[in-house]
Amino acid sequence: MSVPRPPDPPPSAPAPANDEDAATAPRPRARRRRRPVPDEAGVVGVLVLLVAAVGLLQPDFLRTDNLLTTAHNSVYVGLMACGMVFALAMREVDLSVGGMYAMGVVVGALLIREGTPTWAAAVAVLALTALLGAVNGAVTTYLRLPSFIVTLATAMLLRGVGLALAEGKQITDLPPDDAFFRVLGGGELLGVPNAVWVFAAAVAALTVLFTRTRFGARVRAIGSNPEAAEFGGLPIARTRIAALALSGLMAGFAAVLALAFFIAGDPTIGQGYELTAIAAAIIGGTPLKGGLGSVLGAAAGCLILGVVTAALVFFEVPINWTTFATGGVILVAVGAAPLLRRVRELRGPRTARP
Amino acid sequence: MLVAEGLAKHYGGVTALDGVGITLEAGEVHALVGENGAGKSTLVKIISGVVRPDGGTIELDGAPVRFADARQAARQGVAIVSQELMTYDDLTVLENLFPYGAPLRRGLVSNREMRRLARPVLSELGLDPAPYARVGSLPLADRQLLEICRALLQEPRVLILDEPTSALPREAADRLAATTRRLADRGLAVLYISHFLEEVMRVADRVTVLRDGHAVLPAAPASGVGLDSLVTAMLGAAAPAAADPRRVRRARTGGAPVAFTDVTVPGRLREVSLNAAGGEIVGLAGLQGSGHLAVLDAVCGRVRPSRGAVRLPNGVTPRSARHAVTAGVAYVSGDRKGRGLMLDKPLWENVTSVTWLGQGRDGALPRRSRLVERARTGLERLRVRGDVHARAGDLSGGNQQKAVLAKWLDAGPAVLALDDPTRGVDVGARAELHRIVRDLAAEGKVVLVASSDLAELVDLCDRVLVFQHGKVVDTLAAERLTEPGLSLAMNAGFAAPAP
Repeated sequence: MSVPRPPDPPPSAPAPANDEDAATAPRPRARRRRRPVPDEAGVVGVLVLLVAAVGLLQPDFLRTDNLLTTAHNSVYVGLMACGMVFALAMREVDLSVGGMYAMGVVVGALLIREGTPTWAAAVAVLALTALLGAVNGAVTTYLRLPSFIVTLATAMLLRGVGLALAEGKQITDLPPDDAFFRVLGGGELLGVPNAVWVFAAAVAALTVLFTRTRFGARVRAIGSNPEAAEFGGLPIARTRIAALALSGLMAGFAAVLALAFFIAGDPTIGQGYELTAIAAAIIGGTPLKGGLGSVLGAAAGCLILGVVTAALVFFEVPINWTTFATGGVILVAVGAAPLLRRVRELRGPRTARP
Repeated sequence: MLVAEGLAKHYGGVTALDGVGITLEAGEVHALVGENGAGKSTLVKIISGVVRPDGGTIELDGAPVRFADARQAARQGVAIVSQELMTYDDLTVLENLFPYGAPLRRGLVSNREMRRLARPVLSELGLDPAPYARVGSLPLADRQLLEICRALLQEPRVLILDEPTSALPREAADRLAATTRRLADRGLAVLYISHFLEEVMRVADRVTVLRDGHAVLPAAPASGVGLDSLVTAMLGAAAPAAADPRRVRRARTGGAPVAFTDVTVPGRLREVSLNAAGGEIVGLAGLQGSGHLAVLDAVCGRVRPSRGAVRLPNGVTPRSARHAVTAGVAYVSGDRKGRGLMLDKPLWENVTSVTWLGQGRDGALPRRSRLVERARTGLERLRVRGDVHARAGDLSGGNQQKAVLAKWLDAGPAVLALDDPTRGVDVGARAELHRIVRDLAAEGKVVLVASSDLAELVDLCDRVLVFQHGKVVDTLAAERLTEPGLSLAMNAGFAAPAP
């Protein structure tokens, strides 16, 4: 290829001069260079307001241990929601994460009960879930089926495997004094449960992966315009498989943390988590139509749902109404997002063109 | 019939229309021309009720009207066929013709009634599709004509055709032009928007030219204005680009070629051999389905020949679209919204997407500022008007098309496959794009162009291969390369070539 690549800017040009350069370019346009408020700001703001509002009425809610417990409870769905962002951003969906989670917990528990070293069992669970996620992607790609159908089926397959392996019962009699259970289950660092640290680390890592790396950019490009992506030579199949593998892996992390915390393998765990994870991702600003997404937003969305569930206890709402309230919150949160966006557009109108 | 006066519209601080009036008479075809951004689409949107004007009045049959929305305009007899295809591809032909208010019988949709109503309109446009065929399976030209059928079924008094032929092959465009004439003769008032000036001259009774929101040439009789004066009116003082004298053609062969050896693609190409050298601009012409587009598909790796071989300049045979891209093939499509751009993403992400995401260069975690800077350089090189951070969807058509080109040039291709590269682009941007393509060829790239616009092939190409039934039936170059010559070669009934 004989073409000269456009040269990099001369090193002598100081970086801040870029804006002026562009402004003196032919036909300067009304420019909106000021960085827009990140989309996550809205969701995080809602989360903070929600916590403050509940705290105002129930000061006990703001006690550190309560907040940490609430966060800890949200870790499992939260990890799945962060993985789900990748699937949704490329116009796919992963309904198998709930089943994957249950299967992971059961398999991990069985391995440990049969004498596998605990940490090795955890790694095996992670590898298995990533592999099964990749299988989701491969089946979706090579059978040319929507991931909705494929993962709907594998959700049942995986949960079924979990139930069968566990013979329908909880797997108990695991060694609770093992370092694995002490560190990941009950352990704390700086007063914060280690599981929450894992979650925070995952959010940070996946945010970088999603916004800064080639893989993340491919996911977003494919979701934005699949046809243009295909013509542009993007490896769509490979990216899809990797995205669904990542989603599976996040369910695997959730499974490992749950196993460490509950010190038992319950095959009925995580019913409906996939839908909660999708709801959290959407609340967090990842639309079903793809192209966009926010890992941090999904985490915040998940925490919002967690805070609501926890607050209901404080307000002594009967436990049987929890599901109802969660549904209401999802509807309100998802409905509020477009409203907020419209308000923002009204405040800062984009440059119109004739 | 329809009289609009003093229409004005501002978007933010931008004046799109500034006191434009237009009068559409029954039985007349009134053409509206102007560069992109001259205000054509705004005027059309106002007349069809999509946009409300900031000032001015519209009278229909002498009574002032105010359209609240497009449906109200439609009820009053103003029908529009817009530039973008608005068909429901998963629905049947009949369902597409009656998108709202399908005729009912006992509360259920009556297929028989729909067919009865549709038949005369379909035959008027020379269409004969299976009534239950899915519209997505029809050729593009038929879908465009279906939209016109749909508009006619509303029995409009004013029919607006916005770039009706921009996606059509010549023959269908001619058919449409004839139909437009006939509709006007039946008493319709037709407003006809087109970039193809010659077509305009052929079809229209009157021409209005818009420039920068003003009617610089209002309602001139088409017989009284020449092409030159139209172009001058459209471009104003900055006219020279369109009057570009025909450049000297010379074969600048030398670079490594794209070579086809007895390539057969079932149903599309039959034992085609061709050789396009670096530095050469080779046109591909033919009627729909004649195989000229299959050549582009084969070069871009989207179809694989059942027999024969395709060789790219570096000796590679493309195995897939992705493989072709990494091997240095650029596919610049006129379908910039569908195949070209991510409309919701900033320009810089679009421009760097092939290199970074497709070819997998620049590393897995590049510095964003470096990509942005490179995109800015590439866009400036093509004189795209738009900030690197602007959303691609906010650009005008011509600038979007340049951005598509910029994205492929960023990848440093050796072969350019251009598919209708200036579809729906105004005269100025078209001339500029042509200049860029010539410069690229001069750098030694192989350029293959397919276009539904014969003038483009004549202007741009060193030679044009004409396809019929999957075979090359003629090669036009030098003085034989003219629009009538091309049209003849494409349409002439060549005897079945001897085996």
